[in-house]
Amino acid sequence: MQDSNQHHELNAYVGTIVGESTSREFRLAVAHEAIREQDIIAVDAQLRSTTPGVLPEQLRIWAKVQRIERMNPLFPSEAGHELAATRTDPFDTVLSLSREMVTAVCQVLGAERFGTDAVGRLDQLRYPPQPATRAYRPASEDLVRVLLGDLGKNDRRALDIAVLANRPEVDVKVDGHAVVTRHLAILAMTGAGKSWAARRIVEELAKRQYPIVIFDPHGDYTGLADVKGLGNRVRRYYAQLPLFEEDADTVARIVSDLGYGLRDTMRFRFPDVFEAARSFFDCNDTELAKRIASLGELAGNSVHTYGVQPNMWLIANMASAGRFAVLDGKTSLVTWDWPELARYNRRDAATLEAIEKRSRSAASVLHRMERINRSIARAADPLPIDRRQIVGDGSISIISLAGYTSDFQATIYSIIADDLFEARVQDPDSWPVLLVLEEAHNFAPAQSRTPAESRAITTTRQIAQEGRKFNVGLILISQRPSRLDETTLSQCNSYVIMRMVNPADQNFVRRVVESLGEDDARMLPDLDVGEAILSGQLVKFPTLVRLKEPESAGEREERDAFAVLDEVRRNNPSSASAR
Amino acid sequence: MSTHDRSENWGTSEAVDIDLQRQRHLFLKLAENAFLVAESLRDNYFKNTAAFITALRRAMMRQDSILATSAVDDLAWDDCAGEVVTFVDGGVGQVQISSQVPILLRVGSYCVRTGERQLASRESFGYYPVILGDLEGGSKERKDYIDIVRISAELLGGLSALDRTQDLNVLMFHGPLMYLVEAYAGHAPFTERDIDLFLGQYGTTSDQGRDLKEEFLRQARIDIYPAMTDDARRLVERRLFEPLAWIAFLYRSLIRVARERPKPPVIVGVVERGDLREFIETVLLRRVFRGLREKQREDYFNTMYGRTDLVSEKALLDRLGYTDSLLMGMLLRPGEASEPWEVGKFAGLRGGQMGLPGEASTMPMRWEPLQPPSPFGFPPIVACYVHVSETTEPIRVEVFKELGIEHLREAARRAYLYARLLPGYGFPVGLDIADKYAKVPTWLTDAYGKIIRHQLGVSLQQGEISDADMRRILVQAIYMTHRDWLFRPQA
Ligand SMILES: Nc1ncnc2c1ncn2[C@@H]1O[C@H](COP(=O)(O)OP(=O)(O)OP(=O)(O)O)[C@@H](O)[C@H]1O
Ligand SMILES: [Mg+2]
Repeated sequence: MQDSNQHHELNAYVGTIVGESTSREFRLAVAHEAIREQDIIAVDAQLRSTTPGVLPEQLRIWAKVQRIERMNPLFPSEAGHELAATRTDPFDTVLSLSREMVTAVCQVLGAERFGTDAVGRLDQLRYPPQPATRAYRPASEDLVRVLLGDLGKNDRRALDIAVLANRPEVDVKVDGHAVVTRHLAILAMTGAGKSWAARRIVEELAKRQYPIVIFDPHGDYTGLADVKGLGNRVRRYYAQLPLFEEDADTVARIVSDLGYGLRDTMRFRFPDVFEAARSFFDCNDTELAKRIASLGELAGNSVHTYGVQPNMWLIANMASAGRFAVLDGKTSLVTWDWPELARYNRRDAATLEAIEKRSRSAASVLHRMERINRSIARAADPLPIDRRQIVGDGSISIISLAGYTSDFQATIYSIIADDLFEARVQDPDSWPVLLVLEEAHNFAPAQSRTPAESRAITTTRQIAQEGRKFNVGLILISQRPSRLDETTLSQCNSYVIMRMVNPADQNFVRRVVESLGEDDARMLPDLDVGEAILSGQLVKFPTLVRLKEPESAGEREERDAFAVLDEVRRNNPSSASAR
Repeated sequence: MSTHDRSENWGTSEAVDIDLQRQRHLFLKLAENAFLVAESLRDNYFKNTAAFITALRRAMMRQDSILATSAVDDLAWDDCAGEVVTFVDGGVGQVQISSQVPILLRVGSYCVRTGERQLASRESFGYYPVILGDLEGGSKERKDYIDIVRISAELLGGLSALDRTQDLNVLMFHGPLMYLVEAYAGHAPFTERDIDLFLGQYGTTSDQGRDLKEEFLRQARIDIYPAMTDDARRLVERRLFEPLAWIAFLYRSLIRVARERPKPPVIVGVVERGDLREFIETVLLRRVFRGLREKQREDYFNTMYGRTDLVSEKALLDRLGYTDSLLMGMLLRPGEASEPWEVGKFAGLRGGQMGLPGEASTMPMRWEPLQPPSPFGFPPIVACYVHVSETTEPIRVEVFKELGIEHLREAARRAYLYARLLPGYGFPVGLDIADKYAKVPTWLTDAYGKIIRHQLGVSLQQGEISDADMRRILVQAIYMTHRDWLFRPQA
């Protein structure tokens, strides 16, 4: 191994150690453009053994170029001003322009011991590398070995998601175990490639049959079903808010929040209506048939046209039925778990009418959202009554949240996530699961403004803090990291950090992500789309990579706006002649 | 050279006052002088100096001007596009422990092709260190020991620059082209090993180095040593290099190589500041005193300063502390050069004793034969002053007389052009670059130090410096952060 390295070094000289070096950092004098920031380089060293008579230890010190300083100390700025004042091209003068001093500041990653079986293992360096030593660009296979470390022995855990940004021939595999149990955050500004990264990771985990549930507010993951070998395991669910699992106050607020504010009198009566609606189906079939018939008689047309479902329409119809019952003096509804109805007066009837109107309007808004949701989810199934069923061996479940307001999304998420977590807590034989949260700032916001958000935070925090014990993992994806709950984020042990220009987000990330160095953080605004700094337990050391392309396409991969226009124009021949 | 057009106003005492106040360095120098001169001179020192300068300015504006000047600011960068210029600078590295022991001498060179866009072919740098401790010759106990080493090294640096760059247009040294060599007589000769050490530092092929060495020894055997001593065999047999004869030989080699070129390069030394007064003493004041005698006003200065002893150029300068740069700063305007004069640095070359390396006894020597116009002596030098900017003192430009007086004008125009890029320093920027490049890098913390460390690091790495001890010393010099590295035992 040493021989081939020796040979390689000759071609791969990058610089010479100068100045003071410590066991954490050293400086390299490098030739112009010989090196890039984030490059991984190596320096050979010999350490005398502390035991007498034992041969010196051969080490290879691995380091990462943190930053490159470039200056021309032979170019006096006074001369620069003079050139500017006289509009003189420096090349026409005797000024020196060639002697730029390029210094690379390198962070020591660790030391690899030659001649031991600890292949790829990096130990703490305890003695600084020697000044005037040459540094070289290591061979690809050596790099792969070090990037992989012990993972090399465990292919199942090694997820093939990226290549080194500066050396695309080198694969970067990450620790899947860390990803599924220790939580991963993917943070970047919009358009930086978060969803790509997430899809690639999901695909890699799916190949290993790991059960995954994706909360997908935008339809970014619908394409997973088209990936060969995954298709039959992918289930897309459209999400309906399980209204009757909420309490009356929550649903009352939902109606209000949808724009149809309930006044105090209505709020006062709303729980009665809600409870009656909730227990509508709590009876045998004959009774249910009778109830439906009565509801139709009292509440009218819509029942006949659309039937009865446990939804907001039912609440509206129930209110309507109650009103007519009061006006007509019928009391049969009392047996429908509506004991108070017997004491209602005409004023209450008016209140019921108002509740009906508002609920009906809210119902149609909800319906519209559900329609959008379903259309984006594409031919999806409704969530099963027993939500634990969405997790199975190798299952990939996508919960489409598109179309809903963020509050609804948060609520739906909490309900499902709670169930899945609860299932793992109670039954060790239930499937482990990885939850993927797109727009995670909606599910774990730094500040909750609504009860739905508070509840989502509670859920997410609990999974973040305890999920590890129960094999429930999180992938949090967000374009506004600074709006994420800090407690949750700091529970993540792995990070994929991509292009980020907002200073607030950068600062936040620098603060929360301990494994991210100052210089790494400074690069964030300059990253390309698809480039990421991997940091934390999924890698040996923070590494600048380019994510590999996922096999699945995202729903939202944007189409050229004018191509869309052309298509519509073709489909509307009349518009051409109209002009 | 002719007298430059000057407005009437320039010769008034008001203008002189304004100029004096504007040129702060002159003003300060005068203030300093005022304290040093005799008490009786102190009172009206400023006023009288201003009056003297006013008188000189008037005398310059007369038909039969007392001092000719010429414009040297008529050269633009475009005019010298494509010129190849090498700047050479030598310096000393000292270890600052108890005494200041120089340990290392370095000569740096910077060669640039103006207008060349390709950086690789545009510029090249050279760095030639000499460890003084390695030399056997020279009288190390003498304070000027380092100077003879430096002069030898610089001239060799210049020769190798000429050698490497066949199309060289300008070779510019930092400092006088010719030092006051008369002061250096009597140093023990260098040995052949010393000379090999010098030559080994240059990029010249070993053949050229050997040829140079053998040519000197040949001339020394046939002409030089017999003229200098009655016992030439002692020197010849040991193949010794008498320092002044050797240095004179190097000067003549420079001229010879330059002359072989179709268009001989301008070889020039540029001197910054200094307390020299040769020019005003031997040229300007000589004319002044002659003029006064002509008009029978011999008492002019005595009357003006209220004394009786200001009777000669020397007496006047001794008493009043005027220097070349002080007066020329007031008499030249930025962009002007003074008329040329021939520099005298050899009158003191006489006889004396010389020690030999490794021997206790001394031998008598004659150095007069090295005075020009000897065929193997020092070449004559012509010089002029150039005023770059109001905020800086004039610089002195020196060239070899034998290469033609027009070289002085070309040299002055270029020195001015190059210096304009550093108006606050008023010194050719290329020399500044060579100087910074060659500075011994130990414990230099500024940015310039960094680049040397960097460059040396690279040279070391690339095996350009192979001598093991040199490597060790340089590595330590470059990388140690404490000053006592030199005296540390090797681990
Ligand atoms: N690794 C990559 N290599 C090349 N192109 C990429 C890569 N990752 C993403 N892209 C490109 O960038 C586009 C945006 O990626 P993606 O949708 O993943 O961004 P995002 O960060 O999720 O954005 P948003 O915040 O809008 O959801 C992709 O459509 C793709 O064209
Ligand atoms: Mg996205």
